Amino acid sequence: MSVPDYMQCAEDHQTLLVVVQPVGIVSEENFFKIYKRISSVSQISVRDSQRVLYIRYRHHYPPENNEWGDFQTHRKVVGLITITDCFSAKDWPQTFEKFHVQKEIYGSTLYDSRLFVFGLQGEIAEQPRTDVAFYPNYEDCQTVEKRIEDFIESLFIVLESKRLDRATDKSGDKIPLLCVPFEKKDFVGLDTDSRHYKKRCQGRMRKHVGDLCLQAGMLQDSLVHYHMSVELLRSVNDFLWLGAALEGLCSASVIYHYPGGTGGETGARRFQGSSLPAEAANRHRPGAQEVLIDPGALTTNGINPDTSAEIGRAKNCLSPEDIIDKYKEAISYYSKYKNAGVIELEACVKAVRVLAIQKRSMEASEFLQNAVYINLRQLSEEEKIQRYSILSELYELIGFHRKSAFFKRVAAMQCVAPSIAEPGWRACYKLLLETLPGYSLSLDPKDFSKGTHRGWAAVQMRLLHELVYASRRMGNPALSVRHLSFLLQTMLDFLSDQEKKDVTQSLENYTCKCPGTMELLTLPGGPTLPPVPFTKLPIVRRVKLLNLPASLRPQKMKSLLGQNVSTKSPFIYSPIIAHNRGEERNKKIDFQWVQGDVCEVQLMVYNPMPFELRVENMGLLTSGVEFESLPAALSLPAESGLYPVTLVGVPQTTGTITVNGYHTTVFGVFSDCLLDNLPGVKTSGSTVEVIPALPRLQISTSLPRSAHSLQPSSGDETSTNVSVQLYNGETQQLVIKLENIGMEPLEKLEVTSKILTTKEKLYGDFLSWNLEETLAQFPLQPGKVATFVVNIKVKLDFSCQENLLQDLSDDGISVSGFPLCSPFRQVVRPRVESKPVNPPEGSKPGDPSHVKTLEAILNFKYSGGPGHVEGYYRNLSLGLHVEAEPSVFFTRVSTLPATSTRQCHLLLDVFNSTEHELTVSARGNEELILHAGECQRMAIQVDKFNFESFPESPGEKGQFANPQQLEEERQEARGLEIDSKLDVHWRIPSLKRRGEASVEGLLNQLVLEHLQLAPLQWGFSHPGGPWLLMRKCRSCHLRIGLLAASKRYTCGNSSRRGIFGRIFRKGIQEAGQLPGPQKPQGVSPATRHSALDSGCGATTCGLTGPTPRRHPREPQWEASGGQATAACLGLGFPGWGEGGFPRCENLRHWMAMPRKCGGPLPRVVTGGHSVSGPWLPHG
Amino acid sequence: MAVCVAVIAKENYPLYIRSIPTENELKFHYMVHTSLDVVDEKISAMGKALVDQRELYLGLLYPTEDYKVYPSHQLCRYGYVTNSKVKFVMVVDSSNTALRDNEIRSMFRKLHNSYTDVMCNPFYNPGDRIHSRAFDSMVTSMMIQVC
Repeated sequence: MSVPDYMQCAEDHQTLLVVVQPVGIVSEENFFKIYKRISSVSQISVRDSQRVLYIRYRHHYPPENNEWGDFQTHRKVVGLITITDCFSAKDWPQTFEKFHVQKEIYGSTLYDSRLFVFGLQGEIAEQPRTDVAFYPNYEDCQTVEKRIEDFIESLFIVLESKRLDRATDKSGDKIPLLCVPFEKKDFVGLDTDSRHYKKRCQGRMRKHVGDLCLQAGMLQDSLVHYHMSVELLRSVNDFLWLGAALEGLCSASVIYHYPGGTGGETGARRFQGSSLPAEAANRHRPGAQEVLIDPGALTTNGINPDTSAEIGRAKNCLSPEDIIDKYKEAISYYSKYKNAGVIELEACVKAVRVLAIQKRSMEASEFLQNAVYINLRQLSEEEKIQRYSILSELYELIGFHRKSAFFKRVAAMQCVAPSIAEPGWRACYKLLLETLPGYSLSLDPKDFSKGTHRGWAAVQMRLLHELVYASRRMGNPALSVRHLSFLLQTMLDFLSDQEKKDVTQSLENYTCKCPGTMELLTLPGGPTLPPVPFTKLPIVRRVKLLNLPASLRPQKMKSLLGQNVSTKSPFIYSPIIAHNRGEERNKKIDFQWVQGDVCEVQLMVYNPMPFELRVENMGLLTSGVEFESLPAALSLPAESGLYPVTLVGVPQTTGTITVNGYHTTVFGVFSDCLLDNLPGVKTSGSTVEVIPALPRLQISTSLPRSAHSLQPSSGDETSTNVSVQLYNGETQQLVIKLENIGMEPLEKLEVTSKILTTKEKLYGDFLSWNLEETLAQFPLQPGKVATFVVNIKVKLDFSCQENLLQDLSDDGISVSGFPLCSPFRQVVRPRVESKPVNPPEGSKPGDPSHVKTLEAILNFKYSGGPGHVEGYYRNLSLGLHVEAEPSVFFTRVSTLPATSTRQCHLLLDVFNSTEHELTVSARGNEELILHAGECQRMAIQVDKFNFESFPESPGEKGQFANPQQLEEERQEARGLEIDSKLDVHWRIPSLKRRGEASVEGLLNQLVLEHLQLAPLQWGFSHPGGPWLLMRKCRSCHLRIGLLAASKRYTCGNSSRRGIFGRIFRKGIQEAGQLPGPQKPQGVSPATRHSALDSGCGATTCGLTGPTPRRHPREPQWEASGGQATAACLGLGFPGWGEGGFPRCENLRHWMAMPRKCGGPLPRVVTGGHSVSGPWLPHG
Repeated sequence: MAVCVAVIAKENYPLYIRSIPTENELKFHYMVHTSLDVVDEKISAMGKALVDQRELYLGLLYPTEDYKVYPSHQLCRYGYVTNSKVKFVMVVDSSNTALRDNEIRSMFRKLHNSYTDVMCNPFYNPGDRIHSRAFDSMVTSMMIQVC
């Protein structure tokens, strides 16, 4: 007995062993077909339903095990079924002979035998024989089962007879000693008559009868016999057989307690279809040991009455706890005999199975532990594998998965032990795969993506290495690549640097032959190996979808803005909707990609490897939209920090695109890494809308590109910047070429400009263009070019620079100085004309500090193609950087009255601040040549302006604008008009540049008033009228008249002593002021007022006379008044400022006119209105 | 006496493992790993009772040919981790028969104290491998004692 049957279980004690064997040449397929049919008849109820016979079929059974048949009868081969092919009657005798030879092998123990002959037909087959059955072929053999049943019936008859025979042996004289093979020699020469010997014989026989009873389905009887046997054998210290008796007792108890069986599937099958009573279905019957045998039942079955007499004192059935105790005892007895190793081992296995059912893992593990150390003879490699496998299975059975995995792994290693000539790598691999659960390792990388690795890395890594090796030796490189990738991916944190190098090295070697794929690998055994994406090579930390560059960003037309909202809800705003939108925004990014345009996704990656990592074929995985991914290759330095990688692609259709992940090829392994499975990846959303294609506009300009970027605060991103240097007042054309470099026609174009905030005051239009000409070339087909012209005009005020102001004030007169200073004074004051201005050192003209910078952005909104239909446009901006240098400017502006009151002379001190000679010309005047840095005065005769005729822009607008702004606006408008009238140009012949010069910045209140037509016009009505003087106020329609208050002063022939003269003289004299009327020069206005005050007792007035050369019939008066309460009217005469009294003839006319009016003094009635004028100071 | 000391986390992965013959460390890994079966079994079998009795010592796990493997099972001691289920497994050279149950117990107590010190380190992340030098030296002292 050397071959253990590891599949043994306690129930096998009640089975009859039948060996089914082929004889001659029978194909394996046919044999097993029949064998299967035969073995389906595994239990049979005989005679009545009380007793069930169980059959155990074996197709292979070592005959030496058969020799232990007396020891445990279930080891005895009692039936033999032989299957043979026989196609001709000629072969028949030979076949039959073989059958007999076969019978001889188990001859000593066989109860009965059968021969199944297939293929033979005819005469021989016709003979009815009990031990031979003929079948024409393997298909046509329906009666096989019936035959087997008959066969088992016959076996039962023999068994029953033997049982009865043995059971009654006691009454006979001599009981033979049953013994196991190795005992035979021990009993030679033993005293057979001794009481001890007899007891031994009795005990052994009792045990044997117990076995037979158990086999015959008489469980209770067997229990009784076993109990008796145990008592007998214990008294004679026959340990081996005592062990067997105890084991028998255990087996019977187990069969009683666990009718479902302990042997796993075989037991379950046995239970199926059995005719056991219903209560037998309970796996464990509590209190079973109390059930006593019904004596009546026993007698009817014809059992020896002796046994029934013993019922009372035998405990029939063991409790579950006792079973284990008895097993332990039995095993300890077995262990005393070295030759009974197999019996001991099998007993251990059986006990473990029982314990597994009882869920007593700890004790089971002790039994197993013992089984491990049972030393059998030298085992063959195959037996070792079998032994380890079965140990592993048993450990699994008791829930010791780790131990099970350990033994399975040992078994796997045994398969490929160096001593084996043909290593079974396939078997090894299969066994290794089975160990995976024990090491809590699944080959699905998804299980590892959640958080940090939680497992016994050292043993897991070892296992993976073994898997790799085994699969390689199996000749399945795809598997080894998969396992190696898995090792690298999941165990990366536990690999040392050297190991990382080794693993990647071998991975690269494998992938040379068989590149790693993303396909599911199906193993021959059925399980599949999911693909292993290298999400850690490199590690991706952040994924960010990038917006298109500013110039390509699509924008929604404003007109369509409200659409979305209105369709969703009638409310413009609702907190609920806003909330929903917020949620949506988390997933969806609020910019769009455009079909056909290259879109970018930025990944922040790093390389965890201690060497350079080459990542090839890195591209995006997307869904929702047809997307052409443009893969990139990158090389990451060893243990790099975060490293930005931009993956690009072109969406080919429109819709909503979702970036699911990326794919890479690392070490020859293709990986599809999905973002959802990546731990610790920050993403700001991965869904973007792709809108229909839009054209792309490229602009190129005639001007050089600028290195300057616009002020960062500008906020607008410009694609191109151009710069130009201009002299103040110069105009330059900027020719912009618009090229459609996209695939769609460009249909719409809008141009707007934005001047970046600058402190400089800018006069006139900085940028102007005419879009119509360009639009005429539209739609612009792809590849076509259109031109667009923008005029750049620089008009800045350079005059206010400090150093120049110094120059201006060097003669002590400021244009705006002296509040009371009258214009006469300025003009009268002698002044050095064309005084060369010597600019202070360090501030030469053209000094960079003088250069002023203007920046503007030209926005091109364009659209076309399908994108336009959807209401999108693009915005391209062109940054414009203009450096303005001062050209000419006017250091001083003053006026001189001209001969007519409607005209005046404008005196401009022109300063050339360039380094070039330039010429200045005004309308109608000759050119004035100015050298660099030279200042000259230029006089231009101009008509006075009637500024009032400007549309008084205030109105509705004015209600909101503050007065200051209004005033500025007005001033600007005035400046513009003056400029247009003056039309001052400059030209630099050497540079061939020309431009305008503007006085706008210089204009101050005083000069403006000089240039303005007087708001008050005085005139004389004809003598008969009530008004001496009349004035129409343009702004308030006030009429001012000089009333003729007295007739006393009817002047005849007027003289110098006329009314006015007298008044003046009197006033001046009374004031104690000199000189006489002839020379009123030098009288300050204030004095004059007082003179008038005292002289006429009326409110003071200022009145100037008309210019002398005016036509006498239409004298013009320019008047001004004081404040509202007391209107002032000063009378004066023209030419006073020039140093003389008006000429007589003129006066005579004037004096003549009020002749008829009379009255003491002319009186001015202002009606409470204020008449403002420039000449007299207020208040 | 001890040839291998291992600290195993609740989730059954090693927090610390050290063995004296460093050349076949993997063998100890397997040994400790398989002994977890018994630890699990014992915990599940008498988990409740254990809490009440505060009996952390599990006793003999497996007698193997060369080594005896003793485990200890840690339960709450300080109240902040009431059921931390961290396991200690010690592989002891059984040739040294002088070792008795009580000595093994005291060794585990020492180990437990040291482990608690490690856990008290604010810079230690529960669940990480133990790299504490103090713990290491304590384990070394336990191992050298016999040699």
